[in-house]
Amino acid sequence: MPIKITVRNVSNGATIRMEVEPTDKVCDIIDSAADFWSKDAGAYVLKKGKKLLRGSDTVAEINLVTDDVLEMIPDPEGGCRWDFPALC
Amino acid sequence: MDRSIGQADGDRHDRQKRIEWVDMDRIRSVRVLVVGAGALGNEAVKNLVLSGFRRIDVIDMDTVDMSNLSRCLFFSADDRGLSKSVLVAERAGTLDPKADVRAIEGGVQELDSWDYDIVLGCLDNIAARLHVNSHCCFYRIPYVDGGTDGMRGKVQTVLPGGPCLQCAMNRSHVREAERRFSCTGGGTVYVPRMASDITTTAVIAAMQVREAMKIASGHPELCISNISYYDGTLCDSFTVAADIDPGCPNHTG
Repeated sequence: MPIKITVRNVSNGATIRMEVEPTDKVCDIIDSAADFWSKDAGAYVLKKGKKLLRGSDTVAEINLVTDDVLEMIPDPEGGCRWDFPALC
Repeated sequence: MDRSIGQADGDRHDRQKRIEWVDMDRIRSVRVLVVGAGALGNEAVKNLVLSGFRRIDVIDMDTVDMSNLSRCLFFSADDRGLSKSVLVAERAGTLDPKADVRAIEGGVQELDSWDYDIVLGCLDNIAARLHVNSHCCFYRIPYVDGGTDGMRGKVQTVLPGGPCLQCAMNRSHVREAERRFSCTGGGTVYVPRMASDITTTAVIAAMQVREAMKIASGHPELCISNISYYDGTLCDSFTVAADIDPGCPNHTG
């Protein structure tokens, strides 16, 4: 049974309605929302109320119900230029 | 507080001592590592020294270029090509003659000793953050990470045993970190030119140092739990709580 939720983009206030399944993961929701808004590649997190949602958790595990509102936050990376050895 | 007006005005940190939870003796004695001497690093070291921290190491392998000058108070146009960490250490030291600010020229991955009480992350990419985060978790050093992107910023405080940076990351962070790697670029991370301005940088660095003051003063309970996001356009901020991820390698064993 799909669960209808709203994802709000904290960058611009835009919202989308999404249907998710209990087995969907938080990171799937992030990917879908980023795709919908055609966001540049970047890191994002989702919060529900004052709680950061873990990417690996499922919709069932975080007890999402219809009409819940999640907020998507870009995760800033900047601060200085830094070189780091490649792992590849 | 029973001191004369003359005494109060002769004490560099008199006004700060009037903050209830501030412990200047502890602030003066703790060892702080600042990772990154760019925009955030400049502001963070300035704030640390003015706040009374006296034992500060700042590490960076980079040199100054012109695009740094709009956000870095310790650099000038004459410094192009010079070591960022050396300049920050030299010039921050002049703010307080009792401050011992030392430069470490090199990459944080080459750092041998993690003998610090607090680490401030002033970095610009996920891979380097994860490196510092994992070491701080292993050595149980409080880690205060700052990040900015244009008018947005965030501060995450990682206390020993608490949720860490990696706990709060997801697949989008992994993808972003992988995107930054350049196997053809001499083994370095490609870092795009991100939007950045001094007003947001100043706010985030100030929050980082305030967290360091709480930790140093023995009041970790006052710290951000766990991540504070700042929107400079709206002058708005909010804090979210994170949980330990049972799958996070920093919390196993």
